[in-house]
Amino acid sequence: MIRKNRKSIAATLATATCSLLGNSIPEPVQAQEEPGWDFNTALLYYVEGDDRVDDLSLNVLARKTFLDDRSLSLGFAFDTLSGATPVGAVPFDSVQTLTRASGRSTYSVPADAIPLDATFWDTRYAIHANWQQPLGRLYSIDTGLSASFEYDYTHIGANFKLSRDFNKRNTTASIGLAFASDDMDPEGGAPVPLAPMLDVGDQSNKTGDESKDVIDVVLGVTQVISRNMLVQLSYSFSDSSGYLTDPYKILTVVDPVTGDPVPRVLAPGAEGPSHEYRFESRPDSRTKHSFYAQTKYYMSGKVLDASYRFMTDDWGIDSHTVDLRYRWPVGENKYFEPHLRFYSQSEADFYRISLVDGVPLPSYASADYRLGDFDALTVGLKYGWTLASGNEMSARIELYKQDGDAPQDQLIGNQLTREMYPDLDAIIAQFSYRFGR
Amino acid sequence: MNRISDSFVTFTRRFLLVLLVSTVISTNTTAETTFDLQQYRGKVLLLDFWASWCVPCRRSFPWMNEMQDKYGGQGLVIVGVNMDADAAEARAFLEEFPVEFRIIEDAKGELAKEFDVIAMPSSYVIDRNGGVVARHLGFKVKRQDEYESLIQAVLAEK
Amino acid sequence: MRIFSKAVFVFSLVIGAGTGCSSMGVEPWERDVLAKEEMQLLADPVEAGLDDHIYFSKEASSGGRGFGGGGCGCN
Repeated sequence: MIRKNRKSIAATLATATCSLLGNSIPEPVQAQEEPGWDFNTALLYYVEGDDRVDDLSLNVLARKTFLDDRSLSLGFAFDTLSGATPVGAVPFDSVQTLTRASGRSTYSVPADAIPLDATFWDTRYAIHANWQQPLGRLYSIDTGLSASFEYDYTHIGANFKLSRDFNKRNTTASIGLAFASDDMDPEGGAPVPLAPMLDVGDQSNKTGDESKDVIDVVLGVTQVISRNMLVQLSYSFSDSSGYLTDPYKILTVVDPVTGDPVPRVLAPGAEGPSHEYRFESRPDSRTKHSFYAQTKYYMSGKVLDASYRFMTDDWGIDSHTVDLRYRWPVGENKYFEPHLRFYSQSEADFYRISLVDGVPLPSYASADYRLGDFDALTVGLKYGWTLASGNEMSARIELYKQDGDAPQDQLIGNQLTREMYPDLDAIIAQFSYRFGR
Repeated sequence: MNRISDSFVTFTRRFLLVLLVSTVISTNTTAETTFDLQQYRGKVLLLDFWASWCVPCRRSFPWMNEMQDKYGGQGLVIVGVNMDADAAEARAFLEEFPVEFRIIEDAKGELAKEFDVIAMPSSYVIDRNGGVVARHLGFKVKRQDEYESLIQAVLAEK
Repeated sequence: MRIFSKAVFVFSLVIGAGTGCSSMGVEPWERDVLAKEEMQLLADPVEAGLDDHIYFSKEASSGGRGFGGGGCGCN
């Protein structure tokens, strides 16, 4: 029986804001269709190795095109997530016990394994609506709202984009703005930053709900290079402020010589953590800059889509993403599309593999592997086909692998002999169906 | 508003250009296009540049068919200039969307360049004396009545 | 501050490159290939959204994707 330690998908997957520029369903750019409805639906299954997370997601995007290139898009996403993720504690050669976020009971982590949080199951609903229309001959606007709901995380957002064409529409310049306001009500309450994990029944280290706001600005230029080639360049700026910490992630307090978790003495009859742990703490603001370039190149029926993104932020994280897709038509109605994605990031300034006992606490610290130093590779293949009715189906399967390293200068004693960084292996499988029109 | 400003801006220039173009094209024996503006003298000509891959072009066809039927008797001639690089695509398109008006091919874009086409679709209204009186960039269903009024006005002129 | 001035510089280059290159591009009637669905910058928005969500959840970066343009260029 899976213990239902209800945790938000948001907390586990890092805050899932539905902004235009974050991770919402991006808007289709062409409103050049006849009036009518068209639907784009997808079912996705994501599963990680080592009994970690699995996620089943259903997405529907419905678009109604009106006369003269105006359209309304409505999107709906439903996710059901279960499993466990690395909680931030270090692996150790004996069993560790941790108090659940609710404070109502404990759970155990096996020896010699990267500690995961308690198994959970949860659902998320997300919706968005966008309106697109031309403004005069050369301008167009796109404006929308988004929202998502989980039992302990709510997001609402608005977005606006203005585009103008130049040079006989060979050049398009756009500016986009998005605002998001998210409210969190973590299970058991948000922990006091860097507070120790306490016994069952003691919630004195917890406060209440939290919130955060995000502003995104994107400036982009698209240029037609030739009859077969298009290039896009963009710069984005993102500013988040408020509660950016993951309320469920912790760090282990370790012995300065052995690097092993410091044991904790429990009062008779009490239930609680077996070792010393502290809740993580991240700064209350984050500014990101991203530079993105993409090209689409047509070569006798085949299309190459190549893009590069560089991101840098004031948390000390730099990342590079290279994404390549090659669409290879087979006959009139089918195609293959192999996909390759390379990703690399450097760790956050406050990323710590563990906290050292006796050393004064830093202002901020997190052992969340997603803020660490790692490389990731995605290899995938998609196959698509058009039915006699004109509707399209596609199926894709991808392998995603993350491979990281704990910063060597932070490892102490026995930590040097253990596998400290949780690598990730996941499979993504998706089936899509587009119909209408 | 657009129509009036288009007329003022383009009329004199276009009139001279069209005279030149019609002379050049009708006397150029190696011309790809078989377009001769002279043959439309006395008629009102609606010259429309379109392509099979252009969705608003597709939207304008039912309207152009209607115009040709309605005003053909009064001297309106619509000529669709097809810009498809692949003539087969244009033919397939026309089988699916049959037209009541004449189609000519300009795959190399020579006629389009002569008329300085800057948008797809583009239509030029040429009066009975061979002068370009209006240019419409794009096709908006909402402005159909406006386009039709212009045609009526030009047909009424001597 | 350095990041900001770097950003402004890069963006000016980008805008300059775009609007300054008024001779680059194709004639309006030469956009048959660019009008194809597979040549749109965002050919499958649902898939892109799903991918963005996965990577946003497992990595520290997000978004950065750009916008519209290209295509048929009609109307």
